[in-house]
Amino acid sequence: MTTALALTNLEASAGGRQILNGINLEIPFGEVHAVMGPNGSGKSTLCHVLSGKTGYEITGSARLDGDELLALAVHDRARLGLIQCFQYPTEIPGLRLREFMLEAASELGIENGAARIVEAAEQFDMTRFLDRSVNDDLSGGEKKRSEIFQMAVLSPKVALLDEVDSGLDIDAVREVAAAVDEMRSPEVGVLMITHYSRILRFVIPDRVHVLIEGKIVASGGPELADTLEAGGYERLRAELGLQAAEEQKAPAPDPFSELPFEG
Amino acid sequence: MAVLTLDSLQVLDASSPERQNAFRQFENLPLPGPTDEAWRYVDRTIDLESVALVSEAGDRMPADEILAALEPSQHLVIVDGKAVQMAGEGFGIESTKLLDLVSPDTDKLAAAHRAFVDAGVSLSLPRGKSTTAPVLIEVQTTAAKTISFPHVTIEIGEDAEAEVIVAYRSRDGAQAISVPQVEIDIAQSGRLRLLALQEMSLDSTIVVQLRARLGRDATLRLGEVGLGGDLARLDMAVDLDGQGSSADIVGVFFGHREQVLDYRMVLNHRGPKSSSNVLLKGAVEDASQSVFSGLVRIEKPAIGTTAFETNRNLVLSPDAKANSIPNLEILCDDVICGHGSSVGPLEEEHLYYLGSRGISPQRAERLLVRGFFQEVLDRLPVSGMEVALAEILERRFIRGQQMASDQ
Repeated sequence: MTTALALTNLEASAGGRQILNGINLEIPFGEVHAVMGPNGSGKSTLCHVLSGKTGYEITGSARLDGDELLALAVHDRARLGLIQCFQYPTEIPGLRLREFMLEAASELGIENGAARIVEAAEQFDMTRFLDRSVNDDLSGGEKKRSEIFQMAVLSPKVALLDEVDSGLDIDAVREVAAAVDEMRSPEVGVLMITHYSRILRFVIPDRVHVLIEGKIVASGGPELADTLEAGGYERLRAELGLQAAEEQKAPAPDPFSELPFEG
Repeated sequence: MAVLTLDSLQVLDASSPERQNAFRQFENLPLPGPTDEAWRYVDRTIDLESVALVSEAGDRMPADEILAALEPSQHLVIVDGKAVQMAGEGFGIESTKLLDLVSPDTDKLAAAHRAFVDAGVSLSLPRGKSTTAPVLIEVQTTAAKTISFPHVTIEIGEDAEAEVIVAYRSRDGAQAISVPQVEIDIAQSGRLRLLALQEMSLDSTIVVQLRARLGRDATLRLGEVGLGGDLARLDMAVDLDGQGSSADIVGVFFGHREQVLDYRMVLNHRGPKSSSNVLLKGAVEDASQSVFSGLVRIEKPAIGTTAFETNRNLVLSPDAKANSIPNLEILCDDVICGHGSSVGPLEEEHLYYLGSRGISPQRAERLLVRGFFQEVLDRLPVSGMEVALAEILERRFIRGQQMASDQ
């Protein structure tokens, strides 16, 4: 099986603070991987660095189906097949969802864009939002559904899901999880970044990786999420012989973590 | 050499005491300039020496592209503030009628208008009547280096309803000054939807003085589209006199080159439970400038009033400038009011979001600008022109983008 996404010694710093400390990760096509970590572990930064947000100093490599992403602008990464599902999708008054997706489908060279949009909208119950402004006046759950709908239209090679379950009630989590599950296919690698294991009860990942202080400290099967659920990040730290959170220096804060924009 | 003189007044009807009084005011009042609060931020002066009064109306201009799809019930053209041409038949059309809602006592241009007003159109809808299709009133300036004072009066009777478009244009190279007045009186439960399209040539000046008076439960929906003019100014005051009266005002403008687009919008709430909403969105490109100066004034009797004013400005070039001054003056309790204003470039997070879907920055900017204006175009009080307007706005934006990338 070929690799959808391969991260090699990925390091990132912002404002002189090191946030990612050499991440190595491989997601084969057809698999769903979850990256879990406590607040301040670098989850958001990992997402930003992969999707192409500016403001970070980055070394290492991130390859999508063999193509290096890190030097590319955000839209060029999307054109290679990386589509992100935002934690806090921004509202764009006046731009209709259908028009937005038609434009994106055309830029990504997707055939039958108009028909795909209609079909995916049916599938994800987004039809009534197609001729409304992007994310305008949508509930938290609807916004997440819209993000997944957009992914379905744009058929990514790598789906990057940033805290896709945050701020949702349990019914909405179930709904979003079902949508993510439908995305599983041999042509897609899925990277789910999440703080809580809640969603992993509904989307069973192939692999779970634990990110602490910008490094992947443990990897395993879906049972690793259960371990975390039972004992929390502190017990895992203890088991791994990592320093307890109280004793160590404060983790480098993500400079974007306070921004409402996609956390 | 002064052009607005007693001699030129004689040609009209100097025996009218109103004209004589206005003429005296005109002579006594100073020309407004940047030191006057009402003209603050306006980087232009009006040169009355450079123009003459119109002696004879010119030829009518060719049809307006934006209005191509429109099938008006009545079509009236005021040419050079001097002659009125009528196409189609209808009711309620009269020649010039002045309601004197604009006082000539404090404003030199208002005084000039009152003294020298000549041709105009008055639409008067009797009680219970309504227009079947929009009434189109074109205000054309064709004679070069002239000043003219076209007048439009709209009276909506009790429970009557009208849809009206007023389109201002001038011939390219006219270098003219147009000072139209639009007077609106809406009786109880009357409804007016009025769209103003301002497409003056970039060498001309237009100062529109618009006054509206709303009776009980009367409704005004006003749309202002500002595209043309070297200096284009809207001096608007809406008096919500009647209980339950409401005004919904939307506007869109796009300044480029060295245009100055100036919006002064005053809403006076006097009737209890009256409501108003102002949404003005505009872009400034190249070295153009815009001003929004809004005042929502809620007087003592206007208990239970709701009023919002919002002005959003896109500044698309380093040499362009937008000034936004929303004001609220609340003199009674129990009201719901709000104002919002923003001035700046396109939002980075919006561009990033569109980019994350594979859309290039150049396309993303166009989509965002289109979306920015769409919110207003969707709310214009007269429909049928939004596609043509969206195209014009987009063309203007793309031109700016290309200029920027060529540099």
